[in-house]
Amino acid sequence: MAEKKVLIVDDEPDVVAYVTSFLEDEGYVTRSARDAATALAVLGGFRPDAILVDVLMPGSSGLDLLVTLRRDPRWRDLPLVVVTGMDQILEKDCQSYFAAYEDVSGPDAVLGKPIDRRALLAVLTHVCDRLPVS
Amino acid sequence: MSGGSSAFKITSCTPDGGKAREKEEARPVKPPYEQYFEEMPCYVSVHDRNLRIVQANRRFREHFGERVGEYCYRAYKGRDEACPDCPVQETFLQGSGQISEQTLVPVAGPPVPVRVWTTPILGEDGRIVAVMEMHTDMRRFKVLEARLERSQARLAQLFEDVPCFISVQGRDRIIQNANRKFRETFGDAVGDYCWRVYKHREERCLICKAQETFDEGVPHEHEEVVTTAAGKPIHVLCVTAPVHNAAGEVDSIMEMSTDITPLRELQSQLTSIGLLVGSISHGIKGLLTGLDGGMYLVNSGFEKGRPERVKQGWEMVQRNVERIRSMVLDILYYAKDRELEVKPIEVGKLAGEIVESMQQRASDLDVNLSLEMEPEAGLLPGDAKAVRAMLVNILENSLDACRADTSQRPHRVGFKVRRSPPWLLFEIEDNGIGMDRETREKLFSLFFSSKGVSGTGLGLFISNKIARKHGGAIEVDSEPGRGSRFTVRLPLEARPSTQLEEGNAGTGAT
Repeated sequence: MAEKKVLIVDDEPDVVAYVTSFLEDEGYVTRSARDAATALAVLGGFRPDAILVDVLMPGSSGLDLLVTLRRDPRWRDLPLVVVTGMDQILEKDCQSYFAAYEDVSGPDAVLGKPIDRRALLAVLTHVCDRLPVS
Repeated sequence: MSGGSSAFKITSCTPDGGKAREKEEARPVKPPYEQYFEEMPCYVSVHDRNLRIVQANRRFREHFGERVGEYCYRAYKGRDEACPDCPVQETFLQGSGQISEQTLVPVAGPPVPVRVWTTPILGEDGRIVAVMEMHTDMRRFKVLEARLERSQARLAQLFEDVPCFISVQGRDRIIQNANRKFRETFGDAVGDYCWRVYKHREERCLICKAQETFDEGVPHEHEEVVTTAAGKPIHVLCVTAPVHNAAGEVDSIMEMSTDITPLRELQSQLTSIGLLVGSISHGIKGLLTGLDGGMYLVNSGFEKGRPERVKQGWEMVQRNVERIRSMVLDILYYAKDRELEVKPIEVGKLAGEIVESMQQRASDLDVNLSLEMEPEAGLLPGDAKAVRAMLVNILENSLDACRADTSQRPHRVGFKVRRSPPWLLFEIEDNGIGMDRETREKLFSLFFSSKGVSGTGLGLFISNKIARKHGGAIEVDSEPGRGSRFTVRLPLEARPSTQLEEGNAGTGAT
């Protein structure tokens, strides 16, 4: 089986370093981007099997990036996992945000911060193989 | 008493005045009338042109004595000269009956307030020969009148003293009356339109509860923000009620408003605490992720025998512990207004340490962080911990502004320290995303963050507070897409912050 590729989008360098090291240890090939615009640039030359996105970043948010990707035929089917430390109030904001985009399906999975490494691996295994995430 | 038929034979009052005659000559000639005259339940007297009394009834005599032949002003009031407002003279002059109010002084007892009716008595030639005066006792009426006046004054006083804003407005929405608290707060508003007074608007408000009260004739209650004459916005709870005229129509409305600003401020403080908790919780989750990451790198680095990974992980742990420390300090600073510990600070040493501690973070973000300082930066009286926290907050803010700028240009943050007596200036300049006007204006507000939840909205609020407590200020110059420059100005001579400094603190609205 070929190595799975993951794009990590997070504005926090420590998180990028952490997730990159961990996923590479687990046999993934990774690339990273510190904001939505860089992520789109990276996608020009890198076709990941899944993308991990932080929500609140300077410039466009992770949710904006999700909408952009879902509307682009090249990336529509790319599994997208939101990784966030947002609390309940902000999750509600997140829901109302998606309610405004009827044509866009939400993320394939949502993971909280601090990151549970086992949960992250389980989710990635599923989405990379196009399995439904429970 | 009309026509030329006088009930009295009067010979003493010819137009050209003559001498006073004997009083016997003025006797009534018709006994039945004389009897009615005698028994009238009020003072009745007849006066000649010289203001002498020629006839008086029994009740008069009982209270004033036998006074026929005397001047009326002497008999009625004990005066030595004619009254200035003499109704008898006026009747001679006008040729018609007069009504006036006088106070009479009886022989015994207190003065009696009376209403006086006069009527001219015509001679056979149609000229006025005498004037008859009839007085009714007004004592009871006066008592009622005084009581009415008192209660009216009391009502007016109540209206004045009610501790809320009261105004009465007409259909045109012009303020007809306003109580003292209203006038003190909104200025002398009587005669002006309510929308100008309350909201400094030039036209009617779109939604007007006063109008609804006029239309429906029932009270309405609502809450809104109005502006005082001094320009301060206040929250008011406002009740409008119809005022009916005698015909039962609504011809004006009364508006009663209570200042509920303190209540709203308390509410927003509670909201602030909620926001703080949410903001801290998110911040801590981020920092825990960083700590987790550091520990993972340390552990896996040891397992795999990769010392560079251990080093990277350990730095990550240190960095995040440091961030937790500064976050806790920020929260404590917000939660508790601690006193400054002022000691001489070696400015050069402090600036060097700060820049050194931030170099790693700057290089992680591809930002060139430079320090430019006069060789003799000298000493600054201040609280080293607080000044350090303030400068680190601003520098971090500048690094974030560079990180947030996605243009490909190389980013830099310049930190300059220079003396400009009486100030020591710290200038922190970046070429990051810059700020629009709104962001600039809200910059130092509590919980304002342009960084989504990656900021707590505490940092610059506290930085500004620290600068002010040192008697200094922070000035901001910024433009979107170009970058920002923060200038912190601290006095070289120690001095407590004063009211003046508060006012001078630039955009630092808190």
